[in-house]
Amino acid sequence: MSKEMEINLSKITLRPYKISDVDDFLMYGGNEKVTRFTRWNTFTSKQEVVSYINDYCIPHPYCRSICIDNRSIGFVIIMPRSGDDRCRADVGYALAAEYWGHGITTRAVKMAISEGLKEFPDVVRFQGLVELENKASQRVLEKVGFLKECVLRKYSFNKGETRDMVMYSLLSTDFMP
Amino acid sequence: MEVGGNEFTEITLRPLDLSDIDAFMVWATDDKVARFCTWDAYTSKADALDFIKNKVIPHPWFRAICLNGQPIGAISVTRNIGNDECRGELGYALGYKYWGKGIATKAVKLVANTIFSEWPNLERLQALVLVENVSSQRVLEKAGFQREGVLRKYMTVKGKTIDLVMFSLLSTDPQS
Repeated sequence: MSKEMEINLSKITLRPYKISDVDDFLMYGGNEKVTRFTRWNTFTSKQEVVSYINDYCIPHPYCRSICIDNRSIGFVIIMPRSGDDRCRADVGYALAAEYWGHGITTRAVKMAISEGLKEFPDVVRFQGLVELENKASQRVLEKVGFLKECVLRKYSFNKGETRDMVMYSLLSTDFMP
Repeated sequence: MEVGGNEFTEITLRPLDLSDIDAFMVWATDDKVARFCTWDAYTSKADALDFIKNKVIPHPWFRAICLNGQPIGAISVTRNIGNDECRGELGYALGYKYWGKGIATKAVKLVANTIFSEWPNLERLQALVLVENVSSQRVLEKAGFQREGVLRKYMTVKGKTIDLVMFSLLSTDPQS
């Protein structure tokens, strides 16, 4: 795929993962450029991906494959909390590198939040925690309409270092699809 | 003793146990103390004893704030695991008649001066305070915490979704 390709964003769909997505998943999940700022350790085998899809993606309350022509090119997840924290849900996402720069992730996150609002009626706050250095991901959330709330210093450990994370939130009352 | 000077240098921290139940009940049953906390004021000694037995005693770090050896409040740090081990959360409560004298600030400073060496993987001590709880925000500022921002509708407490202010102190921040 080249940078000149035209993406018709209306062709972007979300659906649950299937085991048959394994090869496509490994294309992005196995790419360090994609996994750099995520919680994933870069996937190194089909078997690893199959286990992840079976044990995590499929049973998850809301984990979706971002698709073009029904082919998996990325991942989006909404994780609601429980108990006193059930008013909030974490949002996460990743996209195959060759599809970066076309607004696909922004589109996918908006679609996921629209669905999340229906699936999880207790949730009034969607939040995204993004590493300070990950400017591209911060722009995705800003384009979706998230508000940057603060920088949480040395908030969590990932890939060998304690990271500063930027906290973004979108209230259900603020969301514009 | 000078008023407001050395009067409260005898603030110490020690573990709380079941024999402290009467002292515990003084602040734990007080609605003014519980007002901005996640918990409701205790109404029975049995519930309070259960709390001490099941939550306080096994807690990774829970201390009575003592004045001349007598518990007048409590302070705790919760621990996280895995990738979140670098982060701990501070909470505290103080008997109402002891407010406004710098005692909570002193207790927070005592914790800050010891917790990073007790937990070597801890790099960040954070605290979440209700937006309306200005006194508690002052305690953390005086203790050297940095105010990072407001987390909107972060939690549901006592039936309401609330905004919280996030504060943090890093192991590398200057200790006061």
